[in-house]
Amino acid sequence: MTAQMFFIGFFGLAGVWFGIVVFRTFSMVRSALALLFSQTAIGAMFLSMQAEFLGVLQIMMMATEMSIMAIFMVMFMMDPGGLGEMDMTHQKRLSLGAGIVSFMAAVAVAVFVDWGPLASVSPDAAQQTIDLGLELLGRSMLIFETAGITILTAMIAATAVAIQPVKRTREQ
Amino acid sequence: MSIELLLALITGAALFGVGIYGALSQTNLVMIMMGIELILAGAMVNLVAFWRYLHPDNPAGQMFVLIIMTVMAIEMAVGFGVAIARFRAKGSVEMEEAAELKG
Repeated sequence: MTAQMFFIGFFGLAGVWFGIVVFRTFSMVRSALALLFSQTAIGAMFLSMQAEFLGVLQIMMMATEMSIMAIFMVMFMMDPGGLGEMDMTHQKRLSLGAGIVSFMAAVAVAVFVDWGPLASVSPDAAQQTIDLGLELLGRSMLIFETAGITILTAMIAATAVAIQPVKRTREQ
Repeated sequence: MSIELLLALITGAALFGVGIYGALSQTNLVMIMMGIELILAGAMVNLVAFWRYLHPDNPAGQMFVLIIMTVMAIEMAVGFGVAIARFRAKGSVEMEEAAELKG
């Protein structure tokens, strides 16, 4: 067993375990923190797979995103600490069945498909970043720019939806 | 088939399955968004594994991961915008109570 194999397995298991914890705890803040740990473990898995730029990006982005999510949890929930052990689930059996079926189907595809010849080495971190930069500003520029415009539109739309409507009087 | 690729694909499948369970079973909007985040995380793990073990010389695989990250950020921004609007209007983000558009 190589070190890479061990770390991919270890961080993969940690990511899945914390993903399960998200839906097992009654505390919404703990759910957000479990999702943060899950996403961080996935970022560490990327690092194990020698995708250094994406691994660091994943950890940085998810740390911010999940911290914001934890704040929203405290704002919106009646019982963010989960002390009342309130059950907030429905159609549990159907959801569990759908989760298991989709997992089994994806595993079947992973196991039975012939993926062809495998690459043993990948470019080093600096070369990867150069290649990605050239890809983003070359062949994939339109896709990248479209993603940028879409995220800007989403930010404006989210702010517009969230702004409190102003109540106008007859004089105004 | 390499064990590393298989491990990564099984991890991606497990995250996808857990995310499907979460998105379908939760009644709170923010928890549903957490399920969708896990589904997208599963897709990202698969993309990185395919890039690393099948086409490490083609950076388009990494570019797709950046697009998924953008989708995650958009989902969060729009989801929280809707959650704030819903909370203002009804005082709750429980989706079982949101049946106004039901035919």
